[in-house]
Amino acid sequence: MADEFPFEISPMFEGERIRKDGMYVELAGPKSKGFELVRAADINDIEDDKFTLIGPDLSDMEEGSRHPIAMIYKIAGELVETDLESIVERRNHEFQNYIQGLMHLNQRDDVWLRLGTDAVNKGLTSFEYIAKAIMMLFKNELPFIEKVEAIYITDIQEVEKELDSAKEVYKARDERTRNLHDEDVDTFYGCTLCASFAPTNVCVVTPDRISLCGAINWFDGRAAAKVDPEGPQFAIPKGELIDSESGEYSGVNEAAKRLSSGEYDRIKLHSFFEYPHTSCGCFEVVGFYIPEVDGIGWIDRDFAGTAPNGLQFSTMAGQTGGGKQVAGFLGVGINYFRSPKFIQSDGGWNRVVWMPKILKEKILNDIPEDIRDKIATEEETSDIESLKNFLSEKEHPIVVRWNEEEEENDVQETPSPQQQGYEAPQMMQMPSNFMPSIPMGSSGGSAGMKIILKNAKVSIEKIIIKKDE
Amino acid sequence: MFSVTKIIAVTGKGGTGKTVTTSLLIRHLTKTDNLVLAVDADPDTNLPETLGCNSSRTIGDIKEYMHEERDNLPPDINKESILESKIYEILEEMPGYDLIVMGRPEGSGCYCYVNNLLRGIMNKLVSNYDVLIIDTEAGLEHFSRKIFKDVDELIVVTDGSRRGLRTAERIRELVGELETEVSNIYVIANKVTDTNREIITSTAKELDLELIGMIPVDEMIVERDMAGKPLFDLPDDSTAVQEIERIAQKLGL
Repeated sequence: MADEFPFEISPMFEGERIRKDGMYVELAGPKSKGFELVRAADINDIEDDKFTLIGPDLSDMEEGSRHPIAMIYKIAGELVETDLESIVERRNHEFQNYIQGLMHLNQRDDVWLRLGTDAVNKGLTSFEYIAKAIMMLFKNELPFIEKVEAIYITDIQEVEKELDSAKEVYKARDERTRNLHDEDVDTFYGCTLCASFAPTNVCVVTPDRISLCGAINWFDGRAAAKVDPEGPQFAIPKGELIDSESGEYSGVNEAAKRLSSGEYDRIKLHSFFEYPHTSCGCFEVVGFYIPEVDGIGWIDRDFAGTAPNGLQFSTMAGQTGGGKQVAGFLGVGINYFRSPKFIQSDGGWNRVVWMPKILKEKILNDIPEDIRDKIATEEETSDIESLKNFLSEKEHPIVVRWNEEEEENDVQETPSPQQQGYEAPQMMQMPSNFMPSIPMGSSGGSAGMKIILKNAKVSIEKIIIKKDE
Repeated sequence: MFSVTKIIAVTGKGGTGKTVTTSLLIRHLTKTDNLVLAVDADPDTNLPETLGCNSSRTIGDIKEYMHEERDNLPPDINKESILESKIYEILEEMPGYDLIVMGRPEGSGCYCYVNNLLRGIMNKLVSNYDVLIIDTEAGLEHFSRKIFKDVDELIVVTDGSRRGLRTAERIRELVGELETEVSNIYVIANKVTDTNREIITSTAKELDLELIGMIPVDEMIVERDMAGKPLFDLPDDSTAVQEIERIAQKLGL
């Protein structure tokens, strides 16, 4: 059939909708079954450009009918490996949409195709044309593919049989992607969707840190940045690793400076106290330091009650939000609780003392088993006193810190280094017993504070300077 | 396939008859061989019923689904293509037009990301049609969220009351505050009788509103409204239908 196709192939056909009125056949979709799958194979087991069809072809299908479809591609090449399967598979969506008169939606076992009557009238009467075009595009656009073979199935029994093994492949793939960590990649992604109301916010999305709103993971960032590198999600080269424990990278610090217009120049991805991630306002959960127990509580947007410190989500969110680094508070997305690096530079789960019951239940299986029962909820505690008692009773690891602290109590505290724009919580709105103290970083250097006034209108009638008596 | 899509938004105070006007405009457009995408962007969803089209799920439901399921989806799955597919699923395919219902408002979480995806998908989808017509509440919420881009014709439907015309004036002010580009703003008076015809004309003039049509009280519409019957198949000799034809001509439709 050579390279002659009875249709045009161009990216300009992406987004072309085939309506029921102008549809020849519908394949897979919500009312039928199907899937697409790319498998890496041994180069000797593949006959390049071969197409196999199991089941009826387009010419055997009645106009207006619906059929299942499975599209399996075997790819091979020196550089082809299992990890590339999902990336190549994703391109099937794109390339099929390049074909005029063919609509391809969704992915994996949720694919949904429609072929237009016009396309069939112009000669698209066999799946072979489509498969051959896709194989050509695979090899042209992805040169690491040296050989490719396509198997399309339209027989329902065969589709169902293969579907189970496809699902196994997807599952194994998902397990691999869940095991991807910050150290495995060289690019993180930033997002500026909140920039309009949190102008100094620096949202950094990494494999171990979901966006604060909980909506964008590292893969979403990668997908969006690839389509539109100038769009709201963009690449942040990781740069040099400065500190693995707290998750400090030179690339993130540079991005912080740029995105916050100089407000912040350091962000530690997995730190609660020192140079924490900024908090936009969209965060699903806010973490708050409870100085009386030296622990961290977490309160989520859906919890309407008050935390042991007497405050509600809305009050703490108000203090934390706006794209600032705020001492003693941190906004996060719920999925961050599932991160193996969850506030690891400040003790991780061993520092967590309280969260609302519904939130705790939601992530229960992700809480390390030995601490699960030691985290209080609103059912066990209503104030600091009952929280203290609960933690002692359950022998929460934080209790060990209390004893250590008592011993060190006489040691004079030194001010921690703070960067420009670093904000202290507004004490006026705090209960009088609330006084977050920031644990000292070992990085030292009491450089003090730099105060920058922006758009400030200061009017002073009189200044009297007196010697202190 | 892709063409320049004319974008019409129909708005107005509740109860003035904007959904009736929208339905009759869609009726006219499909009769003149335009492929139409109709969007019900009023939380008090009436357009499907007025058109005689069953619609069960809404964009709001899908946004909620995306919100609820996001941590359960495979990590590297493409969320844009899931969202796109779900939108295609709820798109009601009728002869000559497709219908989308925006539905319920957002929950308390952050919908920035899903709205951003939605903007891109809607933009692509809209380019498949000759005309996009949006039945929207007077607050123009979906426009402030920029789900729809520029509007060619914004039609404010008003009844005979001075308040209805005042709403038109306020909508004009609101449009000025939106980032959406609106090329023209017109007013259609609905439920017009011989007694209020003159006062509507003079009030519109006084408020500097461009009145492009006056739909008389139509007994056929009143009857169908009472019985909860659709208006899409009104006969050509309905007085309202005839006035809509004249309005459409003025709008170049």
